[in-house]
Amino acid sequence: MDVRFKRDGMTLVVSIEGEIDHHTSSLLKEKIDSRFIMEPVKNMIIDLSGVTFMDSAGIGLIMGRMKRVSSVGGKISIRNPKPEIIKMLRMSNIYNLII
Amino acid sequence: MQPVNRMRTEFISKSVNEGFARVVAASFVAQADPPIDILADIRTAVSEAVTNAIIHGYEDKEGIIVMECVLYNDRVEITVEDFGKGIEDIEKARTPLYTSKPELERSGMGFTIMETFMDSLTVESVLGKGTKVHMTKQLEYR
Repeated sequence: MDVRFKRDGMTLVVSIEGEIDHHTSSLLKEKIDSRFIMEPVKNMIIDLSGVTFMDSAGIGLIMGRMKRVSSVGGKISIRNPKPEIIKMLRMSNIYNLII
Repeated sequence: MQPVNRMRTEFISKSVNEGFARVVAASFVAQADPPIDILADIRTAVSEAVTNAIIHGYEDKEGIIVMECVLYNDRVEITVEDFGKGIEDIEKARTPLYTSKPELERSGMGFTIMETFMDSLTVESVLGKGTKVHMTKQLEYR
């Protein structure tokens, strides 16, 4: 699992690569949250194009980041999920975050 | 119908073994050459079952998880069993979005995903003894 960051104006673009499960999600959350605090941003785009597997831990991760971003008045979006991950997202209330 | 193959593996309840369990289950089922999306569903359901055993069964303490896969011509049956604390109210635990550990940012979707991604799901649990999750999946489109 790896995560890369890029700032685009007021938006932090978070590109995740590898698998998101309970094992990897704790470290991912720490890395994303600390970067979000450090950067002068209020919005977040989570790019899932490099994610090869995601279970409900990924839903929890996105929902948690959605709360954080909302708390500072920002917006969160999801980009480029693979079809099997779209199936997962459809089951939760974060499906409408896909752009 | 007689099984065409069977396997059983056990591992300790370390979170790194979530990936191990789903790879092992998917590799075993792959010998039946199912469609890729069916294989993906099985990987996800196994990951959820093993994660539940680690987080809820053993509450991140060390214990043994047993996974058994029985392959038939048309389906696979998968059992994931722990010997941890057990589930007090199975019906409540299976409610979509319910989580007993909101502080962990759990989505409460684990059982819902197992039910949706597999063709059947049964959960047996005895407080203080453990939990057994049994799932089946057809290996071709019906």
